[in-house]
Amino acid sequence: MIAHKNQTLVRARINGEEVAFFCEPRQTLLEVLRDTLGLTGVKEGCGNGNCGACNVIMDGVLVNSCLVLAVEAEGRSITTVEGLAGPDGLHPLQQSFLEHAALQCGVCTPGFLVAAKALLDHNPHPTEHEVRYWLAGNLCRCTGYDKIVRAVLDAAEKMTA
Amino acid sequence: MPEYQYIGKPARRVDALEKVLGTAKYIADRKLPGMLHARCLRSEVPHARIVKLDVTPALAVPGVRGVITSEDFFEHGLYGFPVKDKYMLAYQKVRYVGEAIAAVAADTPEAALAGVQAIICELEPLPGVFDMEHALDADAPQVGPDRPDGEHPNFLDKLIVRKGDPLAVWEQSPIKLEERYTVGPQEHAYIEPEGVLAVPTPEGGVVVYAPNQSPFINHGNLALVLNLPHNLVRVIQPPVGGSFGGKDDIIYESSAQVARLALITGKPVRMVFSREESLIVSYKRDAMRMHIWLAADPDGTLRACKFDGLLDSGAYASESSFTAWRASIHAMGAYRYDACHVDITAVYTNNGYCGAFRGFGNTEVCMAIEQAIDEMAYKVGMDPIDFRLKNCLRLGDETVHGQRLTESVGLAECLMAVRRLSDWDRKRAEYTRRDVACNVSTTNDIRRGIGVAALYHGTSLGAEGQDYANATIAIEQDNSIDITSGLTDYGTGSRTVFTLIAAEELGVRPERIHMQRPDTDTAIESGPTVASRSTMLGGNAMRIAAMNLRQTLDYAAADLLGCELHQLIRHGEAYVGPAEEPVPWERVVAHAREMGLALSAHGKWTAPRINWDHHAGRGTPYMAYHFAAQVAEVEVDMGTGNVQVIGFWAAHDLGKMIFPQGAYGQLYGGIAQGLGYALMEQITFVNGYIQETNFESYLIPTAVDVPEIVGTFIEAPFSHGPYGAKNIAEPAMVPTAPAILNAIYHATGRRVRDLPANLERVLLGHDLAKGGSPRACKLGLHIA
Ligand code: FES
Ligand code: FES
Repeated sequence: MIAHKNQTLVRARINGEEVAFFCEPRQTLLEVLRDTLGLTGVKEGCGNGNCGACNVIMDGVLVNSCLVLAVEAEGRSITTVEGLAGPDGLHPLQQSFLEHAALQCGVCTPGFLVAAKALLDHNPHPTEHEVRYWLAGNLCRCTGYDKIVRAVLDAAEKMTA
Repeated sequence: MPEYQYIGKPARRVDALEKVLGTAKYIADRKLPGMLHARCLRSEVPHARIVKLDVTPALAVPGVRGVITSEDFFEHGLYGFPVKDKYMLAYQKVRYVGEAIAAVAADTPEAALAGVQAIICELEPLPGVFDMEHALDADAPQVGPDRPDGEHPNFLDKLIVRKGDPLAVWEQSPIKLEERYTVGPQEHAYIEPEGVLAVPTPEGGVVVYAPNQSPFINHGNLALVLNLPHNLVRVIQPPVGGSFGGKDDIIYESSAQVARLALITGKPVRMVFSREESLIVSYKRDAMRMHIWLAADPDGTLRACKFDGLLDSGAYASESSFTAWRASIHAMGAYRYDACHVDITAVYTNNGYCGAFRGFGNTEVCMAIEQAIDEMAYKVGMDPIDFRLKNCLRLGDETVHGQRLTESVGLAECLMAVRRLSDWDRKRAEYTRRDVACNVSTTNDIRRGIGVAALYHGTSLGAEGQDYANATIAIEQDNSIDITSGLTDYGTGSRTVFTLIAAEELGVRPERIHMQRPDTDTAIESGPTVASRSTMLGGNAMRIAAMNLRQTLDYAAADLLGCELHQLIRHGEAYVGPAEEPVPWERVVAHAREMGLALSAHGKWTAPRINWDHHAGRGTPYMAYHFAAQVAEVEVDMGTGNVQVIGFWAAHDLGKMIFPQGAYGQLYGGIAQGLGYALMEQITFVNGYIQETNFESYLIPTAVDVPEIVGTFIEAPFSHGPYGAKNIAEPAMVPTAPAILNAIYHATGRRVRDLPANLERVLLGHDLAKGGSPRACKLGLHIA
């Protein structure tokens, strides 16, 4: 198949595991995560940086994976929603989203969780104002955000208690 | 009020875990071995005759496995309800930009695109109708289907309400208002774009995974256009990434396309829209132009209302006749009048097409009437809440339609609740001190205002159609309980509602219960999942099914415990008889099995008959109404026109709350959608071309735009609702826009009667004239 032309080998650490994959230079990280690596928790809502559904953390930085080329992942460490829960169970943010029912249709949820994790990694005690501005890159059409904001603030409190 | 174990108590959403783990599989996440990718050839012009369509070159493209046109469907794929006017793929003509003409299935998305590009399609452009005001001109190009009855082909429907002679009252009235209001189309903007997956079966049938709202309608359409018996078509609903009314027709169409491609190629076929495709192709909330006359006495008693509305259905009817009907019923607002006429006319144009969207006509008319009511309050010199309290519908009143309200009318309580919660009287007085028309040149002038809007919203379908639902319940071998409903959960929370109802009636923990995904092979048809009808209709059906099963178990328990039925009491899940020794639920179930009893049951609930006389414009439109009041507090920057909503209070009479977190979720989400409608969401058709094709131009509210919301529920129970419940999903958003617009007026002294209230409308009172020529939206550039 022609598709084998132009393939590049990329090595990255994804959710704590060393991963190697082939991709074309034109492919986005989002495409590879979803289609090649089967990490379909990463969602596509807009494909051009507007909605945050595709959020992942790359070397500690929150990115829209639809705007990152897969080849840029070379040598990087990436966290997706699938990497949040650990062997001891859910991440406190996931637990908090459950308890606050901070989701409805749920398609935005992975992006919000990953974005919120990136926030708390940098700023363990955010104010409500900071949470709202940090999450302004993530669109949710179902919840009106209120419960999401409460869930993040509550998780922050529990994580630092 | 009876004490319930699970109803109205905190509960966890049954679908939450898979969603926080990221393991919930939406359509785009489902991949099957050998699966093909489908893509449509779409019209790039708003109105044209198809003069040539040759798909054979596409079949020669490497990787392309199948190509279809309208020829591949029974009767060219004609479908639609209540008006059959659309084809699964365009036949002879295209009527809007983005309309599907042919569909290609290929090994890869790239090959599918190449296939689409290889199709020879010649379109002969026709003049279009782009202004609804001119749709019915004698010389307007024909967009709608032929009308053998002699009506203009662009006339879709006209809906009326009649009581007395409002214009005669208006002429005589000392205080009168006449104003015009407009709303543009609104996009649902579900974060999951459309997608469908079809899998052929060895029997020659097809299984379609579709995020549709109403799988049984999809099922019926598919059987029809594929010309298959019903038992060879199965529709399963995967998790749905939001819908809000938006995943009906467009999903039915995509379903038919992939189903036919799957049958032709013998392989699974999936189609997933890009955001651009979704925005261009999918149906919208209809645009409306509204003209209102109101008359009142100097003491503030409302006397008459006349409401003329024109509704742009776009190129196809979809649900617009029903939308226009709901609009007509609610157009005058929740008030008493001596006389009222409503006329809503729906027409065809080439501006995309419009269909169901949360609020379904009421959202549009409420924006207008609730502003008009506010304007009237100013004219008579009354506080807007006092004015509404003086005129609003109360228990025992007769609506303008001729319906006596005999129960569950909580509007006055809602108005009083938001007045209290929002600290209305103090803020109103404080902000009103500057309540004069402002000087536009003032900079750095931030003004505050507070506004209110009231609402009533008919429950379920009303006289739109027969109103019923079915549910089943069965105890599995492992003593878990399976329940099904013909109504679906697209993020609304109804699966949790049904689970709680079954748990309550059976007296078992909700964790035992598993609500199955909607599947036309296992669930029983229940009408469409629309009109916020799940809790009431589906809830009643589930309650009946669970009560039926409970009777069986009670009978077995009495037999096991050697007592009479009335001697049984429940202790948690356990049964207790006169011996006072608790018997675990499992033992009762085992005993019922030994007795040979059926451990499954069915429930059907049919709503009481109501009727509406379309010719007389009178009757009983709905069995009950949801009532609500919302208050918005805004800050307006008089230098830029920027509006920030800084506070929001909502009180809703939903009858009875069943799943609190779900109800609040619906409320907050609805308010956010209403806020977007009020301030930023704008779809613009220029000569039939939509201008907003992704979220950088179609703006929806973010966490920064939506303030903290204080919601409260008034429970005025409805005797036919399960535990008294009515509805919440749609009414949540309906009064939001007018509440915000009324607050903007309070802050600025300037009315914005055209939505959305964007910067220039707030600042200047009109649109900026836009230079340059309209952009034709680009199709085919983006591959999902
Ligand atoms: S899909 Fe990447 S931001 Fe929307
Ligand atoms: S929960 Fe549906 S988009 Fe956020």
